[in-house]
Amino acid sequence: MKKTRLKSRELFAIVVVVVGFKLADTTPAQYAQEGQNAFWLMPIISFLVIFPSFLLLMYLLKKYKDKNLIQLMMIILGRPLGTITGLVVFFIAYGLLIFDARNYADQTKLLYFPESPTPVILVIFLIVTFFGAKRGFQAIGTSTFVTLPYLKLSVFMLAVLIIQKVVWLRIFPIFGEGLGTILWEGAKRGATFSDLFIITIAYTAFKNGKTFSKGIYFGALFALFEIVFFFLLYTTLYDYNSIDKTAFPFHDITQYVNFGEFFTNVETFFMVFWLGAAFLRFIILVYLASWILGEVLYMDEFEPFILPLTFFIFPFSLLVENTILNELVWRNSLFIIATPIFILLPLILWVTAKAKGDLKKQ
Amino acid sequence: MNRLSLLLYLFCFSTLVGCYDRIELEQQSYVIAIGIDKTDEEGLVDVTFQIANPEVGSTPGGGGEGEEPKETVTLTGTDIISATTTANAFVSKELKLDHTKAIVISEELARSGEFLRVIQAATRTNQIRRGVQIIVTKEPAQEFLNNNKPKMETRPHKYYQLMLNRASEIGIIPDADVHRFFQITEGDADLFLAPYATTEIEEQKKGTTEDDYIAGNVPQQGGSSSQFMGSAVLKEGTMIDVLNGAETRIALTLDNTIELTDIYSTYKDPIKPKYRVAGSFGKKRNTEVNIDYKKNGTTKIDILVPFELEIFSVPSLVDYSRNEKNKEILRKSIEDELEENAKVLIKKSQEEYGSEPFYWSLYVRDNFKTVKEYEQADWNKKIFPTAEINIEYHLIKLEFGKAIDDTKLNEVRD
Repeated sequence: MKKTRLKSRELFAIVVVVVGFKLADTTPAQYAQEGQNAFWLMPIISFLVIFPSFLLLMYLLKKYKDKNLIQLMMIILGRPLGTITGLVVFFIAYGLLIFDARNYADQTKLLYFPESPTPVILVIFLIVTFFGAKRGFQAIGTSTFVTLPYLKLSVFMLAVLIIQKVVWLRIFPIFGEGLGTILWEGAKRGATFSDLFIITIAYTAFKNGKTFSKGIYFGALFALFEIVFFFLLYTTLYDYNSIDKTAFPFHDITQYVNFGEFFTNVETFFMVFWLGAAFLRFIILVYLASWILGEVLYMDEFEPFILPLTFFIFPFSLLVENTILNELVWRNSLFIIATPIFILLPLILWVTAKAKGDLKKQ
Repeated sequence: MNRLSLLLYLFCFSTLVGCYDRIELEQQSYVIAIGIDKTDEEGLVDVTFQIANPEVGSTPGGGGEGEEPKETVTLTGTDIISATTTANAFVSKELKLDHTKAIVISEELARSGEFLRVIQAATRTNQIRRGVQIIVTKEPAQEFLNNNKPKMETRPHKYYQLMLNRASEIGIIPDADVHRFFQITEGDADLFLAPYATTEIEEQKKGTTEDDYIAGNVPQQGGSSSQFMGSAVLKEGTMIDVLNGAETRIALTLDNTIELTDIYSTYKDPIKPKYRVAGSFGKKRNTEVNIDYKKNGTTKIDILVPFELEIFSVPSLVDYSRNEKNKEILRKSIEDELEENAKVLIKKSQEEYGSEPFYWSLYVRDNFKTVKEYEQADWNKKIFPTAEINIEYHLIKLEFGKAIDDTKLNEVRD
């Protein structure tokens, strides 16, 4: 992949859209099932669990200049092993994509288009995604960067409106289900931040390692802050007995707020931005998944993969019967499986590289 | 290839028309208030829809002259949502609940405890919003909605919005939306207050003060026949009592999660007890609630209510503004009076209700690390009913409006 003209700020925008968007889908509901009113602390745990491995990966990428995630794995582990682990990473990335597609289609249907069938919404969603992803990484990065301020402004507005209605004392009892549960369940969901690993496939597209690490670190921290802050708002708005009953807390609060007495029922305003962010997130992830697959299979051109990969999301994501099952059983299981993989992967790479003596050279 | 992408683009356009969810304004009718009543059969409720007629009152002299501003229909069903389709047997358009402002339930239903079951539907679909207000009526909700004929605000959505906002601002009824109902009921520690209303004006009680009433006995001449006054007390989703306007107001001032504007009310005149002093009560700072939780023993709760008061009428003409001694007497008397009233309500909630409508369970929560510990400590069964409660009102600012002194009546009559 040749270099693009993208800078740190575009990467920052990509990370914030891909990771930070989780505050507005069903991730909070998943966390709340276990953590009750302390679930806002859990993303911090998830982040802390997975971040050291990520730092290690960044260190390796820096050492082996001009290699992206998969190329790194190929060099360190050798071709056969590298291909297998590369495929594992691809399947996790693609699997999360499939569940997310269903998730977003269901949310749009349940909340805004109750009469439309899910497949139709999904098809439209995927067509848009396909055309977006086809534009290439340069266009994706730039458009994400350009739209980010508007997306964040709408979210900020929502926070301002809802903050008058929250009751801060509801964060007590501070550990909710208990400190043990928070730590363990939080750690299990480290994969919430797995997208950071997937984004490293684009390492070579940026000018140098410094540009990349600046963008991704700031983006990750901002996304974490955003997620924790919104989870805190959900906790203090819903209280511990009701939070685990709400599947889409973000949409619920957009329905609850009004702009004063005159402008009521304003959720469609927020929906537009939400949908925009969902499209961007999908476009980025489909593009990165195709990239990973292209690298694993040693293809010079990976962009032809975009069409089939986008297309196959459709049948696979419709396999699951309903949203609740999709979310709480399948997506959750994938999260729990993916977490140790992403934690161990950089460690294995590092140990192998150390054993081979590669790290001493530079 | 070009032709193919052109076709795909064209296909995209065809999806833009949104065939599935397209619905014209003309084809839907907006339900403004939903009434729910008990029926003789278990599991069935009478649902009343009050539907707005958007043609009335929107454009001056516009179409639909001579039409009623609203239509009220009642039918029997198992829940609110499915009743909207049954209603189409006699309502010509699709009923939409997006603009519903109020859910009206009869006292009978509220007391039977069935309400929670019926309102559950509100959380599963997104048609009923969390901001919808809950109202409890003395008579069946159907009757209330049929009799409720406001004279000025004939458009029903404005009526409910304005009526409920104003009355809850001044504290004679509580602000009670579906969201709060679920937080408190599911939290299972505190009592939920819902506005109490009626159109059945019975014998008018001669109250001592201006807000010592419950809906139905406010002395009223002329105007709309519906009164909103006081609140229904709901414990675990079941109604157990009615608080009058004054008690509701005390409960609201003790609760920090509710915002109040300045309340006009009257207080005993300490020097000439025949008269009352009128002023506006302002709660500018939060009530301080300090709970000293003891696992085995009596928990101590200290309450401090800082408030401001602006006196605007002293009918007895006693000089309170410039005479420091009188001012102190007045200050003391008002604080005592408020404390006295609050104590009565607190005692009632400890002994009769076994829980409180002030949302004080929030303040005990930081004594526990986990939800389990907190639930085992049991606020409304073990901690609150036996707690030792001290309440103190503290007048931080006493103002006397823009007049320095009152007219000397005796000099005028001289």
